Parts: sequence; C-alpha cells; structure tokens
Amino acid sequence: MIDRSLRALAAVVAACAALLLPGASRDWGQAMREEVRDIPQGGEALLFALGCLVGACREVCGPTGLDDGAEEEQRSGPPAGVGPRALLVGCAVVAVLLGIGHMAAGGAPGTMMLMNLIALAVGLLLLSTTSLLRSLVPAPDLRSLSLLLAPLLLATAFGGITVDGATRWIRLSGLSIQPSLILLPLILLCFARRASPASLLAVLLSAVALALQPDRAMAGALATGLLALALVRPDRVTLFALAAASAGFVATLALPDVQPAMPFVDQILWTAFALHPLAGLAVVGGAALLVLPGLVLMMEGAGHRPVGAVFAATWFAIVLAAALGNYPTPLVGYGGSAILGYLACLWGLPLRAGVDRLPVDGIGRARPEERWGGRRTRLISTQTIV
Amino acid sequence: MTRNCALSPAARQLLAALMEGGSGWLHGYDLSRSAGIKSGTLYPLLIRLEGQGYLEAEWQPATEPGRPPRHAYRLTEAGRTLARANPPMVDAVRGRDLGKASA
Repeated sequence: MIDRSLRALAAVVAACAALLLPGASRDWGQAMREEVRDIPQGGEALLFALGCLVGACREVCGPTGLDDGAEEEQRSGPPAGVGPRALLVGCAVVAVLLGIGHMAAGGAPGTMMLMNLIALAVGLLLLSTTSLLRSLVPAPDLRSLSLLLAPLLLATAFGGITVDGATRWIRLSGLSIQPSLILLPLILLCFARRASPASLLAVLLSAVALALQPDRAMAGALATGLLALALVRPDRVTLFALAAASAGFVATLALPDVQPAMPFVDQILWTAFALHPLAGLAVVGGAALLVLPGLVLMMEGAGHRPVGAVFAATWFAIVLAAALGNYPTPLVGYGGSAILGYLACLWGLPLRAGVDRLPVDGIGRARPEERWGGRRTRLISTQTIV
Repeated sequence: MTRNCALSPAARQLLAALMEGGSGWLHGYDLSRSAGIKSGTLYPLLIRLEGQGYLEAEWQPATEPGRPPRHAYRLTEAGRTLARANPPMVDAVRGRDLGKASA
C-alpha cells in the first residue's frame, strides 16, 4: 500500500518534471517519466523522480541571465538617478511617518506609534549592519537565502500562536510577529531575480505554509506577485510556481478566516477618512508609496522588470487585502512586521537602476562549453540602457 | 577559438559508465547507479551530451509485454574519444569505490 502510494507520488513528480521542460526537450521529459515507472521500489522511484524535477528546473532555469550579484553590480557603470534601494528606504520612512500622523490624529496609544518607530529604527539598523558585513564577507546567495527563509513560514504554521483558527504569529520577547509579512516579499524577490530549484522550492514551501496557516492575504499576495512575474517572464518555472501559489490561495478561500478588526491595524484605509480627510489622505498616500520602488524599477529596463513587477504587485496585493478584509495595513498601520518586511526587500532589489545586463548569447543561457565542469562561468556584457 | 574547459567529476563518471557499456544501450536509472550520480545531475548531462553529438539516444520497445518503452543511450565515436580524453578523477573514483564498499 505504502509502496503503491510512493510510486503514484513519484509518477506525479516525474510528470511535473516533464511538464517543466521546454518543448525541444519533451522527449527527455517522457524518458524521465518512463524511467521512473520502470523502477520497482516506490522509495527509489520517488527519489529518482525528485532528482528529475531538480534536473528539469536546472534545464529551464540555468544561469538566468538576469542581473544579479553584487560583483556584477560593482563592475557596472555609474548610477543613474536615485537607486531603487534608496527609494525603498525613503518610501518606508515617509509611509511610517504618515501612518504615525494618522495614529496621532486618531488618538492611538503612544506605545503603538513608538513601536512602529522602533521597528523602523531596528530595520534600518539591521540594513546598515548587513551593508557593513557585506563589505567584509561575501553576500549570501539569493537562492540559498530564500530556501533558508521559507521553512520559517512552515515552522510558524506548525508551531506558531493560534488566534481564532489562524496560526500566523510567533511571540518574540513579548511581541507578536507575523513572519510571512517579513519573509514572503523577500522570498518572492529572490525567485524573481534568480529562478533556480532552490528559489522555486522556497516559493512552493511558502504556498503550502500560507495555506496551512491559513493566511488569505499573504497567499493572495504570493499568487499576485507570481502572476505579475508570469506576465513579464512567462516561462514554465514561473507558471508552475503560479499554479502552486494559486492552489494555495484557493485553499485559504475554502478555510474560515474570521479575524476581528483591530483598531489602527485593520481597515484603516476606510476608518482614517472618518477621522479626518487629511488622516485618510495620509494613509492612502503612504500605502500608495509602497509600490513606487517597484514601478520605478519596471521603467528602468527589461532586466529589472521581473523584480519591479513582483515588488509592486506583492505590496499592492497586501494593501488591497487590508482594504478588503481584516488584515494589517502595511507600514501606515500599527505593526512592526510589515515595516521589517518592507525594508528586508532591499536585499532583493538591485543596487542600481538604469543598468541592464544581457547575456552574450541573448537567450539567458551560458554557452554549452561554459556549463561543463559545473563552473557555469557566465558571460555577461554590460550595457547602459539610459 | 576553441576553449579547453575541464569536465566536471560527474560528467567524467557518466562518460566512464557509458564507456563501460561499450556499444550496448543503457538506461537512465542504470546509468545513475553505475555512475553514482543523482538523476538531477544525470539528465542535464545526458541532454548536453546528446545536443553536442557525443551521445545517441533512442526509444526502445519494452522487453516484457505491458511495460513502457524506454529511452536508451550509448556514446557516439566522438563521445568515446571525449570519454578517453577525460577519465574519471582519482578522488571521484575513490569516493565511488568507498561508497560501494560501505553499501
């Protein structure tokens, strides 16, 4: 019985691997499926099929040809205008201050405003510390980073605090923290910058974790971010990730999600106008600012479009969810997790806008001889678009 | 200009396993076991070898009724030359042997 289940699972995994491969390699996908079907032991077949899935991802992703890596960025030309990272920090600071203005107008407890300021200060401090560290030690690989983060979302689903049937929070030094708000946007940006087996797995784990929690808002943000990515980069890996994220989102729709509205956290896009039109404008303006770095990146060249689209779509979806349901309004509402998550996106953004890098062969793959030996030397030409 | 790029240990092991098969046809799972490499590494290598003319691949009908046809592989003459020029690395061979000994 177990062996039969494992064999069935192996067949599904092998079918996914075959599906991922491009049309020219369809024969190879079929070869993987038939080989898996021919392995007598269920466990062996599953392991072989999982390997095939990794191999298929490698085939599709390869070296993506997307701009990535601080090393390349350091080689590129002078910055054009304000960098996306500086813009992100500026938007974060302004949005938090506008939110504090709204809270002050609404008579929110001083601790709420103080906590948001502390979160902003902690986030900026962490960013400056890691910037300093990056000058001393090599930056972590984005693929490994996302795979390190995603299990934390799963751990939250299994061991977090449960409130009204939802398990989305963890308690740290007496504070309730929502890890998905901190980690998910960065996981998505890692996937947008470097589609790889590891970053794909991170996205899939995130989809499962959000369905289990359940968190309709963040599952929706994941699906929306991937939808935006699929529109600008419609490859098989992205479509596969989008399908998985959509399934996760549908699962959250089927589960009850009845959190009560918290003052100065949920629904403030509507309640702020009841306080004062200026408070309403501050909240709406602050929320609108959140997508600005993504939109600017999208206009800076084809190389940055996937990252820009994912950033803008993800934060737009988080704000939209806050407008439609009882979900935290990022940065302008009370809550440090979104502030930290927004600032954490800085690690997923390119250092500079206005510079686009294209692979020499123009199709995002290293030349075959470059991929031999596992060294995967990348040939990159740098050209300034602006 | 032709680049002289060293093959990875996995590629060398795969070439050696294919050489051992001589002119006979080999299957993916058997190759994975005999070369000691995972399927996630095996198939990208096979695809690359075939694309560059070092490998022949064909569908073979099943030997038993009711079984699916299987994709089988063997080296071309160019592939055999490549394999002879790139024998498995000593460390990799030792690792394989140690792995077999402990199994």
